[in-house]
Amino acid sequence: MKVLHQSQFFISYQCDKQRCFFIKFPHKTIQLGFCQLLAFRQQVKEIDLEAHFNGQNTHGMEMLMLCNREHFFVFNTLESIDLKEFLTGTFAMLELNSLLTTSSV
Amino acid sequence: MEQYLELNYREMKDLVRQKLSIHVDIMDLLNKQIEKEAHSSSAYLAMASWCDHNALSNSADFFYEQAAEERDHMMKIFRYINDNGGTAYSPEVGGVNHDFKSLEEIFETALDQEISISKSIHNLVGKCRKVNDYTTEYFLQWFIGEQMEEEQTMRRALELFDLMGTEGLGLKLLDERIPQIRNKNAE
Ligand SMILES: [Fe+2]
Ligand SMILES: [Fe+2]
Repeated sequence: MKVLHQSQFFISYQCDKQRCFFIKFPHKTIQLGFCQLLAFRQQVKEIDLEAHFNGQNTHGMEMLMLCNREHFFVFNTLESIDLKEFLTGTFAMLELNSLLTTSSV
Repeated sequence: MEQYLELNYREMKDLVRQKLSIHVDIMDLLNKQIEKEAHSSSAYLAMASWCDHNALSNSADFFYEQAAEERDHMMKIFRYINDNGGTAYSPEVGGVNHDFKSLEEIFETALDQEISISKSIHNLVGKCRKVNDYTTEYFLQWFIGEQMEEEQTMRRALELFDLMGTEGLGLKLLDERIPQIRNKNAE
């Protein structure tokens, strides 16, 4: 298992053997297939950070359910900001990996 | 450190490529395109309704069919994303305009809409080239041809207004000519 990307609160890993990904959250680590990782990315993309600052999101909380509602997460504003950076970074690393493997063939 | 990182990545399997044959950013743009096609479909449906209420039955039929076509376009992209390991999202459609002042305005709006869809498809193809996603570029070729045809159809309709006028009997006669504007050079 290799580290893909690490942000302030989260770490993503790629596991070649099981062909899957792991994400380490502050209190637990979950396993995701690629489709689930895509779904996670989509949910995080839809987080409206502005709402945390203009009073629309009064509690400054984001609730996400992952992997067909198997996991439930609550993130505060700081974590939500970090989460966006984290997923961008993770996918950038995957893309880099794609480029390297194609160019090395 | 950087060298170590590179070695590390070379050892890793390209799991994304194993699961998804298109590029992730391209997938996002394709999902945006799904929204646009869905919006087009709804917009044409609103135009069809206006034509029906104004006793322009041929034009109404034309826009009903147009609405169905846009939905087909949407489904084509939807299936393409899912068939290639990505995730297609069912679009939300908002802000559909139902207020028009004339049939001419409707066709002008329709042409503007087709032009903006063409631009969006061209933009997507440009992005495919940038990231070397030849599969999606190939997939989008059909849409480029389709957009060319649809723009031409709308232009043909607008030419009729120059020819036959926008009111009274001229408008009725024009409505009768509407079934012939489609597929003039397609068949
Ligand atoms: Fe279309
Ligand atoms: Fe169209």
